Amino acid sequence: MNPFVPSPDVLPIPAPAPLFEALLHLTFLVHLLFMNALLGGGVILLASLSTRGGDRELHETIVERISKLLPTLFAGTVTFGVAPLLFLQTLYGGFFYTSSILMGWPWFATVPLLIVGYYAAYLNAFRGRRLGGGRRWAAGVAVGCVALVGFAFSNNTTLMLTPEKWGRLYFASPGGLHLNLGEALLWPRFLHMALGAVAVAGLLLALLARRERADARLREALVRRGLDTFLAVTVVNVMVGFWYLLALREDVRRLFMGGSGHATGLLGLGVALSLVLLLLAWRVRTVPARSLKPLAWATLLTLAVMILMRDAARAGYLAGMANLQEIPVRTQALNLAIFAVLLLGGIATVVWMVRKLLAAPSR
Amino acid sequence: MNYPVWEVPMGGGVLMALVSVLHVFVAHLAVGGGLWLVLAERAARRRGDAALLALVKSQSRAFLLLTLVFGAITGVGIWTTAALISPQALVALIRAYVWGWAMEWVFFIVEIAAALVYWYGWERLDERTHRTVGWIYFVAAYVSLVIINGIVTFMLTPGGWLENREFWTGFFNPTYWPSLALRSAAAAAQAGLFVLVTAAFLKRGDARAADAAAWATRRGALWVAAGVAAFAAALLWYRSALTGAIPDWADLAAGAIPVLPRVVTVMWAGAAATFLLALWPLAAPRRWHPAGAVLLTASALVLFFGGEWVREAARKPYTIHGYLYSTGLRVDQEPEIAAAGVTAFTRWRDPAAATPAERGRDLYRAWCLPCHTHDGYNAMRPFLAHRTEAEIADFLPRLQHMRARMPAWHGDAAETADLAAFLAADADRGLAVFPADPGAAGRLAWDAHCGTCHTLDDYRALRPSLAGSSREDLEAMLDALPDLAAEMPAYGGDPVERGHLLDFLTGAAGADPDRSAE
Ligand code: HEC
Ligand code: HEC
Repeated sequence: MNPFVPSPDVLPIPAPAPLFEALLHLTFLVHLLFMNALLGGGVILLASLSTRGGDRELHETIVERISKLLPTLFAGTVTFGVAPLLFLQTLYGGFFYTSSILMGWPWFATVPLLIVGYYAAYLNAFRGRRLGGGRRWAAGVAVGCVALVGFAFSNNTTLMLTPEKWGRLYFASPGGLHLNLGEALLWPRFLHMALGAVAVAGLLLALLARRERADARLREALVRRGLDTFLAVTVVNVMVGFWYLLALREDVRRLFMGGSGHATGLLGLGVALSLVLLLLAWRVRTVPARSLKPLAWATLLTLAVMILMRDAARAGYLAGMANLQEIPVRTQALNLAIFAVLLLGGIATVVWMVRKLLAAPSR
Repeated sequence: MNYPVWEVPMGGGVLMALVSVLHVFVAHLAVGGGLWLVLAERAARRRGDAALLALVKSQSRAFLLLTLVFGAITGVGIWTTAALISPQALVALIRAYVWGWAMEWVFFIVEIAAALVYWYGWERLDERTHRTVGWIYFVAAYVSLVIINGIVTFMLTPGGWLENREFWTGFFNPTYWPSLALRSAAAAAQAGLFVLVTAAFLKRGDARAADAAAWATRRGALWVAAGVAAFAAALLWYRSALTGAIPDWADLAAGAIPVLPRVVTVMWAGAAATFLLALWPLAAPRRWHPAGAVLLTASALVLFFGGEWVREAARKPYTIHGYLYSTGLRVDQEPEIAAAGVTAFTRWRDPAAATPAERGRDLYRAWCLPCHTHDGYNAMRPFLAHRTEAEIADFLPRLQHMRARMPAWHGDAAETADLAAFLAADADRGLAVFPADPGAAGRLAWDAHCGTCHTLDDYRALRPSLAGSSREDLEAMLDALPDLAAEMPAYGGDPVERGHLLDFLTGAAGADPDRSAE
C-alpha cells in the first residue's frame, strides 16, 4: 500500500455514491459542451482571423459570430465546471487535493489565467472591430489561457491517478512547482480533449449556420466549413484515441481489451460511434441540405461514452485505493429533495429568461 | 498530516487571504449592486430620465465585467486556494455541506444567466421583462449569500453540529443571523461604493447627464453611509454572539492573539473612514471626484481586510472550530495521537530522511508549516533566534499554553528532539544580537521568553505578581518558574540575556508606566 494515499475521511457523504457519480457525469457533460464550444470555437476563430484571402465574407461572419459568443461560453464553461469539480471532490477529494498541492503554483495559476482569458474574450467581443490587427492578440490570449487551463487540468487529473509518483515529487521540491510532464498519458489525453473540442465546435458552427436565414450561399459555406473541421479533426482524433489507449497503464489497458465487460463495451461503442460520426458528417458534407440532427445526437452520445470511459480508466488506476462503495453514507433526504426542486426551478428560470431574450427582435 | 503541505514562501495563509478579500469585496458588490441596478432603472423609467437610464446602462456594463469575470472567477479561486492550503478542512466541508454547495450552485447559474440576459436585454427586452430579469438576478445573488453565510459561519461556530452532525444545526449556528446582517449591510455599502466609483469616473457630458450623475452619487453615498452604520451595529451583535459561542473570545480579544487588538482597531478605522468619506458625496454630489472614489475604495478594502482577518484569527487553531485543527488533525484524534506519537500521524515522511534534523523537517512541515512560514508571514526563524536547542525542546510541549492559539504538540521525547534539532539548525541566529539601547534590549528579552505567554497588563498579566519585587526576588523567581506553574518552561537564558530580562522585569515591578506599552 502506498503510504501517501490519504486515509478516507470519517464524515459520511450525504447520499449514496452512485448518485454523486451520476451528477458528476451529467454536469461534466454540460461543462464539456460549453468547454468544447469555447476552446474549439476559439481555435476556429483564430484560424479565421489568421486566414488571409479565401472567402472573406465567410471568415468575417465566423469572426463576428464566434467573438460575440465567446464570453457567454466562458460563463457557461465556468459555471458548469464548478459542479463536476464539487462532485469529483466529494468522491475523490483526497487524490485530487494531493495532486493539486504537488502542482500548487501551476494549479493556482488557473485562477489568474481564467481572469485574463475571460477579459480578453470580452475585449474581443466588445471592442474587437476597433482593435484592428490587435484583435488577433485579444482572441489569441483568450484561447491561449483556456488551453493552458485545460492543460493544467489534464496534468492534475492524470497526476491524481498515480500516487506512486507523489512522494518522489514532493520531497524533490515541496514548493508545488511540478507538472506531470513525464506521464505517458498526459499528451494523448490532453490532445484527445482539445481536438475533440475543435471537432465539436465545428459541428456547432454548422448548427449555428442554420440560423443564418438570409443568405443561402453563406449558410452553405458555413456548414461546409464546420463539417470540414469536424471531419478532418475527427480523423486525427481517432488515431490520438488509439495512442491514448496504448498509453494507459498495462493493467488498465487490459480492462479495455476484454478484462472488464464494462470497459471493453464502452471502448467498442466509442470506436463504432466514431465511425458513425465520420459517416454522418460526410453525408451532410456532400449534401448540405441534409439534417444535422443525427450527427448532433451521435456526437452527444459519443461525448457521454468518452466521459464514462475516462471514469472507467480512473477506476482502473485507483483500484484498491479508492473504493466508492466503502464511503460511509448518511443520506440527507430533505436536502436532496430541496436541491432537486431548486435545480428544476433554476433550469426553468434560465430557460424562461433565455427564450425571452432570443425571441425578442434584435433592435 | 494526511496531505502534503504546500511550502509557499510568503505563507499559504497570505495567499488565501489575498484571494478571499478580493473575492469577498466584489461578491458583496455583486449582491447589493443588483438591487441598485433594478431600483435605479425603475426610477429612471418612472421619471422618463433618459440620461439616468444611460448612466444605469453603462453602470450595468461595468457591473457585468466586474462581477461576472472577477467576482465569479475569484470565487472559484477561493475553492482552488482552500484546497491547496487546507485540504482536510475542504474535504470535511464538502462531505458535510455538499448539498448546500449544490443548492448554492443552482443560484449561481441563475445569477450568471440573469446577469447576461439583463445586459444583452437592454435593447431587446421590454421594460417589464428586463426589470423582472434584474429582480431574478438580485434574488438569486442574495440567496447565494444566504447559503454561503451558513457554511462560512459554520466553520467558526459550528455550535450543536459538534454533537449531532446535523446539516441544519450547523447551518443555523450561533453566529448565522448576526453574520447575515453584517453581510447584508456590507452588500448595501458595496453597492453604494460601486455607484460612487462609476459615477466619479464616467464622463460627465451635458447638463442632464451631470444631473443624473448627481442623483446617483447622492444615493450611492447614502447607501454607503447607511450600510456602514448598519455594519457597525451588526458588528456589536456579532461580537456578543461570538462571545457566547467561543468561550475564550474575551481572552483572545484581550491580547491572547498578539496582533488581534490591532487588527480590530484597523477594522474600525476602516469603517469610520468609509463612513466619513461617504459624507462628502452626500453633501456635495456635484463636487464628487475620482480621488475621493479611490480613497473610499481603499478604506472599504481596509474594512474588509480587517473583518476577514479577525474571522480567520478567531478560528485559530482550528479550521472548523472545535472539530478540526489547522494541521488537519481532528480534535477527537488527540487521545490517539497522544498515545501513538506524531510520527504515526505524519503521512508525508521522506523515506530518505536519516538525521534527526531531516526527520524533524518532515515533522515541522506537517505540524508547524500549516500556520508558519520560514521567513514570510508568521515566520518561524526569527522566533527561534533566542532559543537554544534545549530550550526549544522544552517549549514544544507547551505550545498550547502560549498566547498564540496553537494546537498542542504531541511528540514523544525522540520526536521532540528531532523537531528541536531541525528548528535549532534553522533558526535565524543573526537576530539573536541585543540592541545597544537597554530599554529595547530588555523588551526583546521579554518578548522572546515571557511575552510568548504573558502580557504585563492584559492577558495572563504579570505586573500584579511582579509588583514590589526586588531584583533578587526576580532572580529567584526566574530560577523557579516551573514551580510557579507547570505550564512554564524553566528559564535558560545566558547571562547577557538574563541581565536584560531582569532589567525589564525590575522596571515592570517598579510599575514604571513607560515600560508598560504591552
Ligand atoms: C494553528 C496554527 C499554528 C500552528 C499549527 C503552529 N503555530 Fe506557532 N504560532 C501561531 C500563531 C498565530 C503565532 C503568533 C504569531 C504572532 O506573534 O503574531 C505563533 C507563534 C509561534 C511562536 C512564537 C511565539 C512568540 O510569541 O514568540 C513559536 C515559537 C511557534 N509559534 C512555534 C510553533 C511550532 C514549533 C509549531 C509546530 C509544532 C507551531 N508553532 C505550530 C500559529 C500556529
Ligand atoms: C509556555 C508559556 C509560558 C512562558 C514562556 C512563561 N510563562 Fe509564566 N506562566 C504561564 C502560565 C500558564 C502560568 C499560570 C498562571 C496563569 O494561568 O495565569 C504562569 C505563571 C507565571 C507566574 C505566576 C503568576 C501568578 O500571578 O501566579 C509568574 C511570576 C510567571 N509566570 C513569570 C514568567 C516569566 C518571568 C516568564 C519569562 C521568563 C514566564 N513566566 C514565561 C505560562 C508561561
